[in-house]
Amino acid sequence: MMREMRIRRMPMALSALVALALAVLPLPSVLEAFRPDFLVLVVFYWSIESPRAGGLTLAFMAGLALDVIQGVVLGQHALALTLMAAWATHLRLRLRVFSVLSQCLTIFALLTGYQFVLFWVDGATGNPVTTFGRWLAPVIGALLWPLLVGALSRFHER
Amino acid sequence: MVAFRNSDTSGRTTGLLLRCVLYSLIALALIIVDKRYDHLGKIRRVLSVVAYPVQIAVASPFEGWDWFRESVTTRDALRADKSKLEAELRLAQFRLQRYEALEAESQRLRALRDKTAGVTDRFVIGDVMDVDLDAFRERVLVNKGAQDGVFVGQAVLDSGGVFGQVARVGQLTAEVILVSDATHAIPVQINRNGLRTVAVGTGDMGRLKLPYLPTSADVVAGDLLVTSGLGGGFPAGYPVGTVAEVKRDPAQSLADVDVKPAAALDRSRELMFVWLKAPPPQLRSPSALPKPAIAPQPPTKAQTPGANDE
Repeated sequence: MMREMRIRRMPMALSALVALALAVLPLPSVLEAFRPDFLVLVVFYWSIESPRAGGLTLAFMAGLALDVIQGVVLGQHALALTLMAAWATHLRLRLRVFSVLSQCLTIFALLTGYQFVLFWVDGATGNPVTTFGRWLAPVIGALLWPLLVGALSRFHER
Repeated sequence: MVAFRNSDTSGRTTGLLLRCVLYSLIALALIIVDKRYDHLGKIRRVLSVVAYPVQIAVASPFEGWDWFRESVTTRDALRADKSKLEAELRLAQFRLQRYEALEAESQRLRALRDKTAGVTDRFVIGDVMDVDLDAFRERVLVNKGAQDGVFVGQAVLDSGGVFGQVARVGQLTAEVILVSDATHAIPVQINRNGLRTVAVGTGDMGRLKLPYLPTSADVVAGDLLVTSGLGGGFPAGYPVGTVAEVKRDPAQSLADVDVKPAAALDRSRELMFVWLKAPPPQLRSPSALPKPAIAPQPPTKAQTPGANDE
């Protein structure tokens, strides 16, 4: 059991690290608003795929990493990611039997919830970002979801 | 394609709710402590060292490419560059000849006027790292940090003019908030007539605003704005931007003034961190403009009007 857990955590940490790098990869400023929340998608994937391997801990740590790397209030992304990852874990059995379209819609809802928590914390700490652009990331993230699941499950299988 | 491989399909995840609540509470506590108190600075500094490898890893391919491109430039290109730089240097030296004399004179005059406007003392050059921070905030990451003596609130210039100020300091890196950030304000002065006001960012790198000038204010397109040095955050006399457009609506009491920033906010790679000479221990005049407010800790609401209150 212990051994199995350890094997499972390697791809988890690795994919999270890659997603974190993608989150800060320089993009032309036109495209910047279109950047999907890679790390969030990866966290969702692992919360659904293997919730017992510590998906929630991963969510919290990944959130903290995002906070530090993006230089926002410490705990903001951690809170949003923890809540949404817990929700994703809660929904995971249903998600598995959903069609691709319903899965994308569910992920869209989760990502929107994530953005909403960020938006709320932004407002509560006194630097609201009211650009409409921030609500674009959930759409793109949801569209990307099938690709990501395909890639990650293949990577995971090895 | 969309298939989950794992057979871990048992309906229960032990203590999901409990852990969720626990982590959320920790996160909330972090938010509150980070917002209200300053204790997390050290933790953040340590964490930023952990984040540094990721940032380096992301930035290095771009730097490698720059390096490669630089090392394969032709001799002709280098010679052209060299003669251009020499010409620029000649011009700069010509302009510099009177600098010392002028600085001494300005110091004397300042002393006469009993004003404590900051004068630059020393500076450190930092490079902008090829890392994207938050897409909706105008910030850059620079490879100088607490190790080099950089501090929060420090003025940052580029070759064109005022670039921004330090918002957050890590051990090895610093986050600089641009003058164009929607939560940034900087005390300025119109160079032509000395009119003082505050330039506020808009969230758009090519535009600042002067939201507090009455319709009757003497400001025309083309006016140069320089830092007034009031508030003590920025050195006095550095260009902030030029007035691009003045819209006067007789129905409004305030003019709508657009400013084009002097610094190349979207292009600069090298930034200058500036230390001010300690002002003589005199009382500040009570009419001094508010300190330039930086985003994370806006001292009062009035000093940091958002870009969206139009």
